Amino acid sequence: MCDYCMEHGAGGKWYLNATHYSEEIVEKYNLREFLLEQYASFEQMAVRKVGGFSPVGMDYTFRMPIIGRVVKMLAERMLHSQKPPVNPFRPDGHIGQVVPLEDAEAILMHCAAEPIIEKNCMCRYMSRGVKEACCINFGVMSEIIDKLPRFVPEKEKYHLTRDEAVARFREHNAKGYIGTIWFGPFPYINNLCSCETPECAGIRPRVDFGIKSIYKAEYLLGLNETACHGCGACVAMCSFGALRMEAALGRPVIDADRCYGCGVCRHACSTGALFLVPRDRHPALAGKY
Amino acid sequence: MRRTRITVDYELCGDGVGVDPRACGRCLRTCEPAVFLLHQTIGALEEDPFDPTRWRVTPFWPSLCDRCRQCVSVCPRGAIEVRPKVRQQPRPAVSADA
Repeated sequence: MCDYCMEHGAGGKWYLNATHYSEEIVEKYNLREFLLEQYASFEQMAVRKVGGFSPVGMDYTFRMPIIGRVVKMLAERMLHSQKPPVNPFRPDGHIGQVVPLEDAEAILMHCAAEPIIEKNCMCRYMSRGVKEACCINFGVMSEIIDKLPRFVPEKEKYHLTRDEAVARFREHNAKGYIGTIWFGPFPYINNLCSCETPECAGIRPRVDFGIKSIYKAEYLLGLNETACHGCGACVAMCSFGALRMEAALGRPVIDADRCYGCGVCRHACSTGALFLVPRDRHPALAGKY
Repeated sequence: MRRTRITVDYELCGDGVGVDPRACGRCLRTCEPAVFLLHQTIGALEEDPFDPTRWRVTPFWPSLCDRCRQCVSVCPRGAIEVRPKVRQQPRPAVSADA
């Protein structure tokens, strides 16, 4: 557990602290208007100038030796901001973490504020032009989505009960979508996404450029070698290239450094040989989110 | 650093002229590394953020482009161009007889 949970987790994980989902935060920071303004033009937030610089083509700057490091540090500072949200056109304090199925269920059953809805994923719309209803939103976000027709799924029922939300999330997880929970903006949690890379605007900066736009999960993958049949089905499920079939051993090998702990690979395993262990138990990767 | 220059001709696609990129979206779907981004134009925010004609496609992550040119061949209006970005030629030396 890192400082983040120590500070905001009330003794547990930050995303299992129900105060982050509460109506009081909405009132305190006036998030109703803030989020409506932000989501009315969400797609163009990515192309707006930040500090006078256009982010289009900024990826070349990230790759420069020294300047790149400074720019990435500034980007991280913006995403990790814990100041009260003021500018709806910047992703200040929009930071998330990968969550496995079990934690997502706990969020949906015990923490998420009613009403719970399902909306079209804006990342897939921005990067692929497709509408897929797989983001689960709670609390004030649900009211906002009702006002923005392009996020509303085409099917007639998108307001979900807690059990329906869990079932939908489980469905997405089994497809190989990575569960992620987001502050948006800090300290209000309103999004439980089922992401894909490279479509996800939050995962891409981390995977391609090493910007901590999302934290890895509190878990790491483990393998029970005796139970594994060596079919290799899990390898195809991993979005991060953390699993590789090793013919010499007749089993997959896990690259723990690349593992985000999403646990999606477990759905492919017919023998139950894959499991998650807390990241803290790994001697080298404890605290490396 | 190898640089790629990707340009979208907004006279042919987006910005309320030619094709609505949201209805077409071929370049978005064909690009393996998802270089393009679909968004409302900045001007749309001040005028009318919900105006459906004011959407455009921007090559947002050019450094991830593989230069496979799939987007060029798939675009029905021929609006996209992908070229290696070359340094400006150095100025020609002044000839001796000048």
